[in-house]
Amino acid sequence: MSRIGVFVCHCGLNIAKTVRVSELAQFAATLPDVVVAKDYKFMCSTPGQEMIANDIKEHRLDRVIVTACSPLMHEQTFRKVLSASGLNQYLLTIVNIREQVSWVTHDIDEGTAKSKALLNGAVNRARLLAPLTSRVIDVNPDVMVVGGGIAGIQAALELANTGRKVYLVEKNSTIGGHMAQFDKTFPTLDCSACILTPKMDSVMQNKNITLMTSCEVSEVKGYVGNFDITVKQKARYVDHDKCNACLACTEKCPGKGVSEWDEGLVKRKAIYIPFPQAVPQKPIIDRDACTYFIKGKCRLCEKVCEQKAIDFEQQDTFSTMKVGAVIVATGYDLMDTKPLVQYGYGKYPGVYNALEVERLFNSAGPTGGKVTMRDGKEPQAIAILHCIGSRDKNNYEHCSRVCCMYSLKFAHLFKEKTSADVYQFYIDMRAAGKGYEEFYNRIIEEDVKFIRGKGARVAESADEPGRLIVEAEDTITGKFIKLPVDMVVLSPAMKPRADSKDLARLFNLSTDKYGFFMERHPKLAPLSTMSEGIFIAGVCQSPKDIPDTVAQANGAAAEALTIVVKDKMELEATTAMVNPASCCGCQNCVRVCPYGAPFFKEDKGVSEINEALCKGCGLCASVCPSSAIIARHFTNEQVLAEMEGLMEF
Amino acid sequence: MSQTVTPFLEMSQAIMEAGGEALKKCYQCGTCSGTCPWTPITHFNIRKLVRYGQLGLDGIEEFMWGCSTCKFCVDRCPRGVELIDIVTAIRNVYSGGGMLPQSLRAFVGSMSARGNPWSGDQAKRNDWAKDQYPLYAPGTEYLFWTCCTVCYDPRNTKLAKATAEILKLSGVSWGIPSVEVNCCGESLKKVGDLELFDRLKSANRDYFKANQVSKIITVSPHCLAAFKKDYGEDYEVLHFSELIARLVQEGKLSPKKDLGGVKVTYHDPCYLGRHSGVYDAPRDVLRSIPGVEFVEMERSREQSMCCGGGGGGLWMEKLKGERLSDLRIEEAMATGATVLATACPYCITMFEDSARTLNVDEQIKIKDVTELFLESLGINIDEPVVDTCAL
Amino acid sequence: MSFEPKILGIACNWCTYTGADLAGTTRLQYPQNLRVVRVMCSSRINPSFIFKAFQLGADGVLVGGCHPGDCHYNTGNLYARRRLAVTKKILEFSGMEPGRFRVEWISASEGNKFAEVVREFTEEIRNLGPQTKFKIS
Ligand SMILES: Cc1cc2nc3c(=O)[nH]c(=O)nc-3n(C[C@H](O)[C@H](O)[C@H](O)COP(=O)(O)OP(=O)(O)OC[C@H]3O[C@@H](n4cnc5c(N)ncnc54)[C@H](O)[C@@H]3O)c2cc1C
Ligand code: SF4
Ligand code: SF4
Ligand code: SF4
Ligand code: SF4
Ligand code: SF4
Ligand code: FES
Repeated sequence: MSRIGVFVCHCGLNIAKTVRVSELAQFAATLPDVVVAKDYKFMCSTPGQEMIANDIKEHRLDRVIVTACSPLMHEQTFRKVLSASGLNQYLLTIVNIREQVSWVTHDIDEGTAKSKALLNGAVNRARLLAPLTSRVIDVNPDVMVVGGGIAGIQAALELANTGRKVYLVEKNSTIGGHMAQFDKTFPTLDCSACILTPKMDSVMQNKNITLMTSCEVSEVKGYVGNFDITVKQKARYVDHDKCNACLACTEKCPGKGVSEWDEGLVKRKAIYIPFPQAVPQKPIIDRDACTYFIKGKCRLCEKVCEQKAIDFEQQDTFSTMKVGAVIVATGYDLMDTKPLVQYGYGKYPGVYNALEVERLFNSAGPTGGKVTMRDGKEPQAIAILHCIGSRDKNNYEHCSRVCCMYSLKFAHLFKEKTSADVYQFYIDMRAAGKGYEEFYNRIIEEDVKFIRGKGARVAESADEPGRLIVEAEDTITGKFIKLPVDMVVLSPAMKPRADSKDLARLFNLSTDKYGFFMERHPKLAPLSTMSEGIFIAGVCQSPKDIPDTVAQANGAAAEALTIVVKDKMELEATTAMVNPASCCGCQNCVRVCPYGAPFFKEDKGVSEINEALCKGCGLCASVCPSSAIIARHFTNEQVLAEMEGLMEF
Repeated sequence: MSQTVTPFLEMSQAIMEAGGEALKKCYQCGTCSGTCPWTPITHFNIRKLVRYGQLGLDGIEEFMWGCSTCKFCVDRCPRGVELIDIVTAIRNVYSGGGMLPQSLRAFVGSMSARGNPWSGDQAKRNDWAKDQYPLYAPGTEYLFWTCCTVCYDPRNTKLAKATAEILKLSGVSWGIPSVEVNCCGESLKKVGDLELFDRLKSANRDYFKANQVSKIITVSPHCLAAFKKDYGEDYEVLHFSELIARLVQEGKLSPKKDLGGVKVTYHDPCYLGRHSGVYDAPRDVLRSIPGVEFVEMERSREQSMCCGGGGGGLWMEKLKGERLSDLRIEEAMATGATVLATACPYCITMFEDSARTLNVDEQIKIKDVTELFLESLGINIDEPVVDTCAL
Repeated sequence: MSFEPKILGIACNWCTYTGADLAGTTRLQYPQNLRVVRVMCSSRINPSFIFKAFQLGADGVLVGGCHPGDCHYNTGNLYARRRLAVTKKILEFSGMEPGRFRVEWISASEGNKFAEVVREFTEEIRNLGPQTKFKIS
């Protein structure tokens, strides 16, 4: 005989509007073993929690059922109430009548009926619950940050400053990310390098940070508090321990590769650093561009390197790091606009994408900061086209959030650096950040022309060879505009990194349909993920500007700290165990477990499960032919009893 | 005219109920109107049409006839708005209220009385064939669906013959429909007469059913699109250019006669290209012809211009300077081509008209891909066609 | 009164259950015939759960898990996929209408898909009428 208490929440009107909550409580009172059943406005509030605590004592409850929102919201809250009242926290059951009942129906009869069935199932299951003891594990104090853009840099510095050891893993040969490509940043127009370079240097100097450039994560094992992460160090063909960054090699190298950093606008050497302020300042060799690797002859760099740092035999190496928490901050790519044939990107040399233009403005860029086009001329008229591929069912449905603002920034810089007329073709101006509307005003006053209508087509001018025509409707006058310009700038959608789904798989993250990482809860847990101990920050989660990225990075650092400041932490107790009396020794469990938790004991002829490794998926329990495995908290009996209850009504 | 307007949401509701559901998705970005070939040359503005529709504003009837249903805007709209459905719905709602323009009255009248748009005698639908070609009967593989335009319009009967002659050589089993069939009704639907369209459609479907038709070959891309999208049945429909391309590829037909280095450009009919996604077949056919120098126009394939003949445009009067076909002829001539090939009887009619009024019909010839292909098979059907015309 | 089917759902915690929550958060509407049991992973589902559900009188059973390859436990649902396919075969072999048992992969971001699947499935079961084959009364 158990003594069950049922607590039905109204959630204001969220539940009460489509479920008759007091009727539900009265119904609960009629169910066997239920000794108290109550409804209350906000069960998660302090008075609500106190009510439960009091009833546990007063009615000597040994099971508690909270009929409220999703367990993903408040399971932890109510478990704490039980613990504080001296009841094992696993004796709590949550019935989800908000997300899965009251919010998905308008019909109060249906809502009430379904809630009763769910509650009935829960009572059935609650009776069979067993107290469980949480496992306590040691926590590794170190953190890994994946991605060295502004998000990763910021998070790594914050953590390092609290004394944590941080591994900063960056795919490129330098950290900095997109922000390092910019000349100025909106809305303040402060110089990007001036605010970023000092941070990049601090990363280099900070003794708590192990900077791992040209690296990628290749395997993730373990669990929160104890991850074992294998990182691949791609061959650089330069021994960075020996290299003293004199860069003599880069001067002599005859090889030519395409400069990714300059968005392909120019060539660079085969042995190179991407840009002058790169961190680290040490070069790598691009195999595909290196004369030696292509033709088998050259090795000029080797000759000039006094440090003997060049190593053509270098191989990829792998090393495994132990960390307690991880922050993923891998940023974004811009969408490829070539398939949008109407805009002529890749066909007309006068059409540029936004990042290319950033490089034109940058004094360390291919033109030394002068706005000269591919044909060497300075543009006289420029059109900037907003929302290319963003807010677009055929491409990306989201608003990329920063392009309105950087388009304004471009307009300003064009005005500053050229005498060109500048036109913005936009649908809606989105200037909602701090100081953004003011920035918009400022640009309007600089006499930039705003045309409200999405750019429809870019064509070659028939009358003036080499010039382009932008076609659009000015929706304000309703007139069709044919605007002759020299330069067209496309502001393309921001999209997740091409490899984001692979990374999601490695770290067990969920993604949205495009590949942006999903947060655990859109409002209340925006930096956590479904994988305990893995956090996200920056544009890899969704498009955002630098201020928001930095705020998220700080937040993620704080979240990671909450894990690694403790030397021990509790893990879910819901693991599987083998009943040796029934085990037939078939070792099915050993073969299927994704974590290698079950192992076979030769001497006894039965299997056992290493609880430290078990994550409680229950897979083994359902393949065990002799039902010897008990998946704690989800035992066969518990699940079947719940089903029975659900089907009764 | 007063500058004050009041939204009339009942009207907007009526449009949505008539199939213009997509009205509400539009965020007025102007991509459609910036893309629509009519915007630069007429007062028609598709974005405004949607806007008026959203609020049910007066004055919508002024410009609802401007669209030729070329589908350019639909393909580009970032919100996935089915603009042609909206145009059709608005026309339906308003022409139901008696607002059909004069030039379309004869068209709709003929459809209603005779089941074809050309005021043709239904009994004479197959006269062009002069009993030389097989009639479809159950057991035949393909129904060769002769569009009303190729049956009745003297210029286009040439096209019917060319197609039939090629079919004769092709080795496939085929037949033409009996005279009882109706127009496919595609243009009628776009003009907004949904009720009459349904009538024609069900009569045709009855014919198909009675004769166990499952595979159809069309000459007109308009029939193609109607059977594929509007007939609600799983027919296997091929455009004639697709069939020829296939036969050439399989080696069953091989053009031999050298056309002597003639420069040909190709216009993608909206209903073959954007509506049906067929871009390569007609080009493959042209390229298979010896002695054809094929050149592309600046706007081709997905970006092709519209001839103006869709959506009822073929039957509407357009002022000089407001004709897309004129612009297209100029574009074709700019390539240096002496033949403008296409694959749709509507396009042919529109372009021949334009070539005549622009006085360039000597410099540029308008041909169907089929006709060129037949020529390269060494068969000349021009003579008998002239005979028919003389009749 | 028209026939109101009882449908049992079994959803994995990480994807489908979360997707169902998202359907709620975005206030999508779907029929209330479904009652969901939460398990940690679709791989926890033993075929006997399905048979039992039908014995208990479920008119339809809907199993939801992460997309194959996206399972929170890496390979869990790859096993589940095979096992559930066999379960479906056995059900069909024993004369159960194939439409009554369905497996859907619904991710945490697919609230829309969840609602859509529930609508569709409920309609399908409604059309099939009451399940009597396995039901023990
Ligand atoms: C044209 C343009 C102009 C902009 N101008 C401004 C502006 O003026 N002001 C403003 O506030 N915002 C601006 N933004 C937005 C700004 O770029 C972003 O907010 C910011 O760069 C986001 O930083 P991040 O670290 O999240 O991503 P990123 O800058 O993309 O950095 C991600 C880093 O992760 C690395 N990485 C990727 N994948 C992996 C992997 N698998 N393993 C290891 N490392 C990996 C990348 O190499 C990169 O170094 C602009 C954006 C664009 C497109
Ligand atoms: S920020 Fe502006 S330009 Fe970018 S997608 Fe949003 S509305 Fe379009
Ligand atoms: S599957 Fe079951 S019976 Fe087989 S070894 Fe594992 S615990 Fe024992
Ligand atoms: S429940 Fe079983 S299969 Fe799952 S992790 Fe634990 S031991 Fe492995
Ligand atoms: S393109 Fe689409 S969204 Fe834009 S104005 Fe036209 S119908 Fe509206
Ligand atoms: S279908 Fe063609 S003609 Fe009609 S509005 Fe759209 S682009 Fe213009
Ligand atoms: S966790 Fe969803 S199927 Fe395994």
